[in-house]
Amino acid sequence: MTQVIGNGSIREDAWGKVFGESKYPADFNRPDQIYGVVIRSTQAHARIRSINVDKARLPGVITILTAEDMVYNRHGVLFRDQPVLAEERVRMIGDPVAAIGAESLAAAKQAAALVEIDYEPLPAIFDPEEGMKPSALPLHPELFPDTNILYHLPIRRGNMDEGWTQAEVVVEREYSTQMVDHAFLQPEAVLAYIDERGHVVVQVATQYAHYDRGEIAHALGLKNSKVQVKTTTVGGAFGGREDISLQIIAAMMAWKTMRPVKFENTRNESFYSHSKRHPMKMYYKTGAAKDGRLVALEAKIIGDAGAYTSWSPNILRKAAVHATGPYEIPHVKIDSYAVYTNNPYTGAMRGFGAAQPVVAYESQMDLLAKELGISQVEIRMRNLLKVGSTTATGQVLTESVGAEACLKAVLPYLTGKEGRV
Amino acid sequence: MKKRGVGIGCTWYGTGYGNGFPDVSSAFLEIHDDGSATVLTGAIDVGQGSSTVYAQIVAEELGLKPEDITVVTGDTDVAPDSGTTAATRQTYNTGNAVLRAVRQAKGKLQAYAARTFSCTTPEGIELKDGYIGVKGDPSRRMPLGEMVSTARLQGERFISAESFTAQTTPVNMENGQGAPYWPYAFGCQAAEVEVDTETGIVRVLKIVAAHDVGKAINPTQVEGQIAGGVAQGLGYALLEQVELKEGKIQNPALSSYLIPTALDVPEIESIIIEETESSGPYGAKGLGEPAMLPVVAAVINAIDDAVGVRITSLPATPEKILAALAEKEPERR
Repeated sequence: MTQVIGNGSIREDAWGKVFGESKYPADFNRPDQIYGVVIRSTQAHARIRSINVDKARLPGVITILTAEDMVYNRHGVLFRDQPVLAEERVRMIGDPVAAIGAESLAAAKQAAALVEIDYEPLPAIFDPEEGMKPSALPLHPELFPDTNILYHLPIRRGNMDEGWTQAEVVVEREYSTQMVDHAFLQPEAVLAYIDERGHVVVQVATQYAHYDRGEIAHALGLKNSKVQVKTTTVGGAFGGREDISLQIIAAMMAWKTMRPVKFENTRNESFYSHSKRHPMKMYYKTGAAKDGRLVALEAKIIGDAGAYTSWSPNILRKAAVHATGPYEIPHVKIDSYAVYTNNPYTGAMRGFGAAQPVVAYESQMDLLAKELGISQVEIRMRNLLKVGSTTATGQVLTESVGAEACLKAVLPYLTGKEGRV
Repeated sequence: MKKRGVGIGCTWYGTGYGNGFPDVSSAFLEIHDDGSATVLTGAIDVGQGSSTVYAQIVAEELGLKPEDITVVTGDTDVAPDSGTTAATRQTYNTGNAVLRAVRQAKGKLQAYAARTFSCTTPEGIELKDGYIGVKGDPSRRMPLGEMVSTARLQGERFISAESFTAQTTPVNMENGQGAPYWPYAFGCQAAEVEVDTETGIVRVLKIVAAHDVGKAINPTQVEGQIAGGVAQGLGYALLEQVELKEGKIQNPALSSYLIPTALDVPEIESIIIEETESSGPYGAKGLGEPAMLPVVAAVINAIDDAVGVRITSLPATPEKILAALAEKEPERR
């Protein structure tokens, strides 16, 4: 039998965390480092007429980076549709436009305030349902010439007419979920330098060091083997450290100046520096037979992708696949859409598209139970997936389906004193 | 008036990158001359405890203690790519890569030991409590380190590199049919809440959380994941919202963007369900994301049970609850 597996071994990082010795990226410094500040777009959608940095060349300012300084100015987890520094257009408030490197943080901030960016505002889209209309201006014409719908997944199973015929009760509701931030406790920070081998070294808290390495190497025009990403202790991530934030800018600044470069976000900057959870609008119509069996589901899910693609196709796919909840439903019509807008871009966050539909499918279950006059537990027990069940995508679950066991495990707590938890 | 209610939420979560994308993890391993070991993977421990899980897997296979194992992650100059710490995949995916790596090195060691001990099969060699020897023959055993260092003098090393790829197929873009994720994790949580009908404020009194993790490699960390998930889910259900005005964030500060504090987190009772997943390391599948899902529905359903209003838009703020109560009972206006 196992000796170590199944026992609560002490975490290997316990010592450092308990005694405050763990080092987060902001804790790393190098002699002669310069301090970086990112200048971000104040416009949701605009053409950049000009960037004038003349007044920002204060004493102590070492370098001012714009898109022209990059070898390859794009990054992105799926499409590389996100400029490292804005080119002719900004698509959201918070898009990085330029970066200042100076001898002190104060000098960098002072100079950042003196950079003059002349914007020509463009019509902007803030509501994904507006953005879906054929008349809407496409925000990424190079990727999708005539639409802002960057992803649509239809799921079709069974026969909807048959499903609605079998339904004794039908509940139809709209649900919406909000944009949220990962709010990890440690805001982004990075230290980049050129080491004695001439390699670019980037110390950062990330979820995927090898991805970061690839994006940094790509943007700087270097081989992967010449870029080293060293991950520090990570102060929470939750998906918000999937997309690149400061890493490429810091690496490029170090490469250009041959000096160590430190960036450290304030909380305010952090809010503009990483993705958000997709707000979703969910139209649900669910039917159940007299005995409580679910017979039909029609759902339309619209996710706000914001200004860039990030993981949106994968997230709206996940929303569609999980839209039924952990229940077997024979007749299903689900449509899931990801739509570009000029809101902050949305991406990975714990739950990844399977979090939003929870409020819809589980509310529908309670409402159906009420209509049928059966308990919330009963309707779930009749429909939960089990070994041998088929999901809405036609996948047969062959093992390890603990849905019923989980519900049964919480039941004793529901029937405690006064019928309370 | 303060009214209490109970709600439940049942959820599922398909783990892994999914949709036919090659979801590969890799690990390098070396057993040292003193019988300790080092494992290298690209899997970043973002605080959830994956590095501890890898130490446990290696220790289990080599009959060592987790503290005898060093886990090196996240330095791209030395560790192999193990994919992102996301998609609830690092215990399952990289755990499997680590398990394969340690079993590969262990297999070589067992073959070497079988010859040393005149045992006819490598399977007859067991590694336990820091020793390596023949099962059922206590006269044939020695400290693991002694065996490894002796082997080195004969040019035998126990190092390995292995990878694991999760099984997935892409969905058909016409009808969504396919097997996009594997394995699926399941969870069910019950919430008891107290709703103040005068202020609309919801206080969560207790959460009971049952999660099917396949196998809890580290039950303490499973409880930790559940507690963190519940806290984050409560924030999603009741508090958090990035307020936008024409694309501009109105509350980019933790004074105006509210996340739960210790005082908002109720008593949490964790129940571990273990429905073995045969493709997982020791039957394990992931828990990272699933932990935060059911509480969202449990709280919304409990609010309805308490005061009879159905909140369909998150977060369930006091304002929304008061508005729904007013709509239900117009005399309250």
